[in-house]
Amino acid sequence: MKTLSSALHGLARMDVTDLALRLTLLLLLLQPIGNWRVSPFVIVLAGGGLLVPVLLRHPGTWAWLTLLTGWRLFLEWPVSDNHTYLLCFWCLAVLIALLAEDTAALLARNGRLLIGCAFAFATLWKLVLSPDYLDGTFFRVTLLLDPRFEGPTLLLGGLTSEQLESQRAYLSQHVDGTLFQPYRPPEPASFTRLARMATVWTVAIEAAVAGAFLWPAGRGLSRYRDALLLLFCITTFAVAPVAGFGWLLLALGVAQADPSGQRTRALYLATFVLILFYRDLPWTRLI
Amino acid sequence: MRLTHASARWLGDLPIALLVGVALSQLVLAQRADLSPWSGGGFGMFSTTDAGSRRHLHVFVLRPGLERELPIPPALEQLARKARVLPSEANLHALALEMAKLPTPDPGPATAVRIKLWRTRFDPETLAPSSHILRSLEFSLEDAE
Repeated sequence: MKTLSSALHGLARMDVTDLALRLTLLLLLLQPIGNWRVSPFVIVLAGGGLLVPVLLRHPGTWAWLTLLTGWRLFLEWPVSDNHTYLLCFWCLAVLIALLAEDTAALLARNGRLLIGCAFAFATLWKLVLSPDYLDGTFFRVTLLLDPRFEGPTLLLGGLTSEQLESQRAYLSQHVDGTLFQPYRPPEPASFTRLARMATVWTVAIEAAVAGAFLWPAGRGLSRYRDALLLLFCITTFAVAPVAGFGWLLLALGVAQADPSGQRTRALYLATFVLILFYRDLPWTRLI
Repeated sequence: MRLTHASARWLGDLPIALLVGVALSQLVLAQRADLSPWSGGGFGMFSTTDAGSRRHLHVFVLRPGLERELPIPPALEQLARKARVLPSEANLHALALEMAKLPTPDPGPATAVRIKLWRTRFDPETLAPSSHILRSLEFSLEDAE
């Protein structure tokens, strides 16, 4: 543990821009882009950038990454996940910053605003545009139906595997008339509480992150932006199965963090490792 | 190559402008063209049960006096996924043309393909599911020839 801690602090002493770029390349290796027409080239560029120092800050590396991630969006449109758009915009931001005189400042500005805008739109969808988020329907349905949430639902929702199966059978009916199975198995109170808590917490933390990152730098809510983003990542990616999004947010977070805040950078790195554990260890089954 | 101060200033805002532009167009497509809020770059994921993967797609190949529902083969799953996420006429038509090429035990050439796309809504109290048609289109194969 002590070795891990000193390794993280050693890495945290690295130049902010280098660290943000390395984390971006690392996430491209840990979570390779799904499209086979694009992924081999992205893996070569990411591996090269990590291993060959001159390639890390070479604009050509980031120009190709921007083109390839953009090409993937074009090939798959409109089915790509939202964070693949963010990845493409971020690669473009890195390219522009590397061509500008004040690379670190431009990268920090784009990191901060990309996170702020992404979270602002996520909050807008949940609070205003979606018809079934605030009433709790979304999490009640998703926790039961989405197999990726099975672990937390069983552990924290107080359901047995059999109860979960019967809830799924009820919810999965394709109904254009009367229900085939009109009787719904009872929903445990602990599950209702879990869904309600997830609904409130998710929109609250996302709104707080949006506010903190869009607030003028150095004032008010903006002073808590690192803490809020880390809290979001630590809590959300423990259950949400989108590690690639978490790692990307952390890379952007590092880029915009105060260059003198070594401890904050160490926390970003520790959270990056934590998300790797979340992804690869079935922690809900181990408890 | 280095950017001048002025060009760095306006180019520097390009990634943010792209994010906002894409997110706003996603919002319009979701409201007007039934794009699933989960997709399209607008950050509407984890906000609604209307994910593309929860929409049901049914494809029927028509011959004179005969209508047969065909399962979507894995090779056409990506096309079907696009049609579920954004049920534009172009996406549904592309799927219809490919489905018409699939072999069936029925005699004679297919004359049309009908596609029905459903979404599921859940009652906020009981979570009772109910399906609603998003699109029901018939594509004549005679016109396509």
